[in-house]
Amino acid sequence: MLLRKLLRTAWLYKGQFISMIVTVCIGVGIFLGFQMEWKSIEADTAQFFEETNYADFRLYDEAGFSDKDLDAIEKIDGVDAASRYLSLTAGVKGTDKSVALNVPETGTVSVPFVLEGADFATDREGIWLSDRFAAANNIAIGDEMTLTVQGKSLTAKVVGLCKGSEDLVCVSDSSQMMPDFESYGYAFISDASLRKALGRDYYPQLNIRSTLSEDALEEEIDDALDRTIQLHAKDDHLAYSMVQGETDEGKTMGTILPVIFLAIGLLTMVTTMHRIAAAEKIQMGTLQALGFRNRKIVRHYACYGLFVSLCGTLPGIALGYGVGRLFIDPDSTLGAYFDLPAWPLVMPSFCVPVVIGIILFMTLISHLSVRQMLKANAAETLRPYEPRAMKQGLVERLPGFDRLGFSTRWNLRDLLRHKIRVFVTLFGIVGCMLLLVGGLGMKDSTIHLIDTIDDNIYHFTTRLTLADDTARADALALADEVDGDWQASSAANFDGESVAVDVYQAGTDNIRFIDEDDNRVDLADNGVYLCLRLADGIAPGDEIEFSPYGSDDTYTVRVAGILRSLTDKSIIMTDTYAEKIDLPYQITTIYTRAEDIPDASFITASQRKSAIIDSFDEMMDLMNLMVYALIVGAIVLSVVVLYNLGTMSYIERRRDLSTLKVLGFRDGRIARLLIQQNLWLTLLGIVIGYPVAINVLRTLIEALVAEYEMRLVISPASYIASFVITCGVSLAVSWLVARKNRHLDMVEALKNID
Amino acid sequence: MAMIEFRNVSRVYRTGDVAQWALRDVSFALEAGKFVVILGPSGAGKSTLLNLLGGLDSPTSGTIIVDGEDISTYDADTLADYRAAKVGFVFQFYNLIPTLTVLENVALVGDIAPRALDAREVLAEVGLAEHLKKFPSALSGGEQQRVSIARALAKNPQVLLCDEPTGALDSETGVQVLKLLLQMAQSHHKTIVIVTHNQSIAKMADVVIRVKNGTILSYDEQAHPLDPDEVEW
Repeated sequence: MLLRKLLRTAWLYKGQFISMIVTVCIGVGIFLGFQMEWKSIEADTAQFFEETNYADFRLYDEAGFSDKDLDAIEKIDGVDAASRYLSLTAGVKGTDKSVALNVPETGTVSVPFVLEGADFATDREGIWLSDRFAAANNIAIGDEMTLTVQGKSLTAKVVGLCKGSEDLVCVSDSSQMMPDFESYGYAFISDASLRKALGRDYYPQLNIRSTLSEDALEEEIDDALDRTIQLHAKDDHLAYSMVQGETDEGKTMGTILPVIFLAIGLLTMVTTMHRIAAAEKIQMGTLQALGFRNRKIVRHYACYGLFVSLCGTLPGIALGYGVGRLFIDPDSTLGAYFDLPAWPLVMPSFCVPVVIGIILFMTLISHLSVRQMLKANAAETLRPYEPRAMKQGLVERLPGFDRLGFSTRWNLRDLLRHKIRVFVTLFGIVGCMLLLVGGLGMKDSTIHLIDTIDDNIYHFTTRLTLADDTARADALALADEVDGDWQASSAANFDGESVAVDVYQAGTDNIRFIDEDDNRVDLADNGVYLCLRLADGIAPGDEIEFSPYGSDDTYTVRVAGILRSLTDKSIIMTDTYAEKIDLPYQITTIYTRAEDIPDASFITASQRKSAIIDSFDEMMDLMNLMVYALIVGAIVLSVVVLYNLGTMSYIERRRDLSTLKVLGFRDGRIARLLIQQNLWLTLLGIVIGYPVAINVLRTLIEALVAEYEMRLVISPASYIASFVITCGVSLAVSWLVARKNRHLDMVEALKNID
Repeated sequence: MAMIEFRNVSRVYRTGDVAQWALRDVSFALEAGKFVVILGPSGAGKSTLLNLLGGLDSPTSGTIIVDGEDISTYDADTLADYRAAKVGFVFQFYNLIPTLTVLENVALVGDIAPRALDAREVLAEVGLAEHLKKFPSALSGGEQQRVSIARALAKNPQVLLCDEPTGALDSETGVQVLKLLLQMAQSHHKTIVIVTHNQSIAKMADVVIRVKNGTILSYDEQAHPLDPDEVEW
């Protein structure tokens, strides 16, 4: 019988139960979805790395590693596997496309994951091509391809389609935001094919699988090879670092947005269950009077919390999988970014106890709400619920209070009397503002970033990537011929981390530099410039030290300024300053506005600026999706919270409102009374919400897009839209609730049951 | 031997330093099977007396014996069991569960009362056989009070306690309800105690206890109580 009572009472309070169920469902769904996003990336890439024997360490020596070097490394205790390796950019002959050509000599480390075709073998001739590059360029197994490698041609048949963990994020350089498999892909060839093409073996890289620490391995390698070699742990490798970055971002997002939804859902539950318990007080007393023990009554009402939590969490789990699948899908933006062979959804193990905890917590809330009502004896429980007695408060003593209108005084007293309801309402409005300002602000900031890159930094039309062994004279001649700026980029150790050292000759204004406030900076010749991420605690005029990899030299330089870098963490200087400090450099890139680019064998890639900007547009698509989801989420959240609390508040004040009606107050006047209070809370919530949202957005930007040193920008339109949407929703919900008073049965509501 | 006995029972409500004596040193005894009316003005202590008798409240001091058991020392669970087994309540405003049907409201007591009667039979006795599937909101005040009476009787209690059972009803319906109460009490051999401020009802009683300011003013046994039809309302 009590089960029927439970179900029918839930129907009676369906508005409140549905709103609680919806907030729990959304909260759980978003929580699980976001947790599954980062966990799936972490697990799926870990699986892929394992299947391809992804290298833990990479050694670099431009002179190349010999067989003897390999033997020496393999003999180190703690090295599980080692392979000489070559990775360089090869052009696809007859096109402006290029591929990252990978050659694992021994096939034991960093091997391709073959999807179709022949298994990879170190003695087999042929090309194992990225399946996505093949699909984008209509290349099939059996087709012949000619690649240009160090000025030499390599013609071979495509014998297999594959994925490669070394090129998990297949971008030509750090400025390319999204892979574009139509113009740039990757391929594997065997050692036999390399020797045939080049006439020799050339391996400037040595990939190692080892569980040793970086310091320990470095020491062993120095002893084994008897020379200093540039050693990079996998943390420095693009693929691994991008996975780490994405995982960390996912964890950050997973701790902010879902927590807001869950917190609002649980807070709403606390207040709603308390109010339902108050409304059911006489029924509880009746059950006591009939002879039901308190334990049984409490268990019955605790089931309300259990019922709501189960009805909310079960579809919430399904929603979570849906949200997770939106992210973790080969056709999603993450799928476009990470080139993985499989995308199974993985849920972190802690999610299970969290969901169980939510169910238990909500059951506990209803348990405690009812226990409070049953504290006294049955006779007391049979009395109607009475809110705390009115007392003169501080606000009534303020000068001018008596001159305020009736509605204002009524609403002020009501708000001060029901602080928890006020707090939850404000929390809901602030949450709504957080989502709106956060979403719109993230979009504004991203648009600003793209516009800054397009208008203020990239003044070229074409970017030419040069081969690693291009002679300086050739590079300078080409730059002169195309009237271009050039860049020499290398890696260095700065304060314990790997950074880029970029030397620029930017005399033709094809590439520009900006500071933290987006002001243009003309590079001076009297020092280096640090990007924002490296400038923590460092000011212009300070001295810093850095050590280029592959060299024992350390350079002490003066900091001339701080720049906003939209790519790598970098130390930037002019060529004049580089020469002043005797820093050797290799020109790697030329930026030009020339339309006719001469054909030079040392140009390995040519990329249009429009293609770079297009890759940002793909990111904008994801951004737009996220913004719309956040706006919808904000509206749903605020509707649910405001309607629920508004309805409960109306029920509490039914008697008072009936009295007003009996006295002669018109429906419209009473409705305005109810709407006024909601409007106050909404405006207060908006005032609090703006700074909260801005600070949270700033934290999110720093955590999520640190690699772009994105500036926080929120347009006036976004501020206005957030205000209008929040107020609009609040007014609409208030009007819906206020309409109830039209149907108020004054006689029923005023029956004295004491 | 008396069915119900109050011995020097007092009930005090304290709010800070203020003590409100709802009942002060009340003593009386009632035989089984009697129709008792507790009469008094508003605030006299009638409802407090009924609540103590029904185990809804506990006395501050004194002893309450019902059917040989001292209920004044019972804890909350034992009081609940006492109410389930021995007491049937009829409230002024019926206190039906609005989300249960007529039949369900009465059958509900079957979960807790050790000697519960069949709900359908009891409802038929009170003339509501045609309304079993209706919800309380679909019934008139008198019909709801009948359901309340049926629920109380379905527990097969020893005592029926009624707090202003006709207070929310018009006089004609109130008479019908009273007649029903009397009839049911007699046919089921129950002791019935009605709390009221209505003097007319007192004329129907076997015993009239007058209460004022928390004390018993008088205890009168009426040799010839009137039939409800004979009373001038």
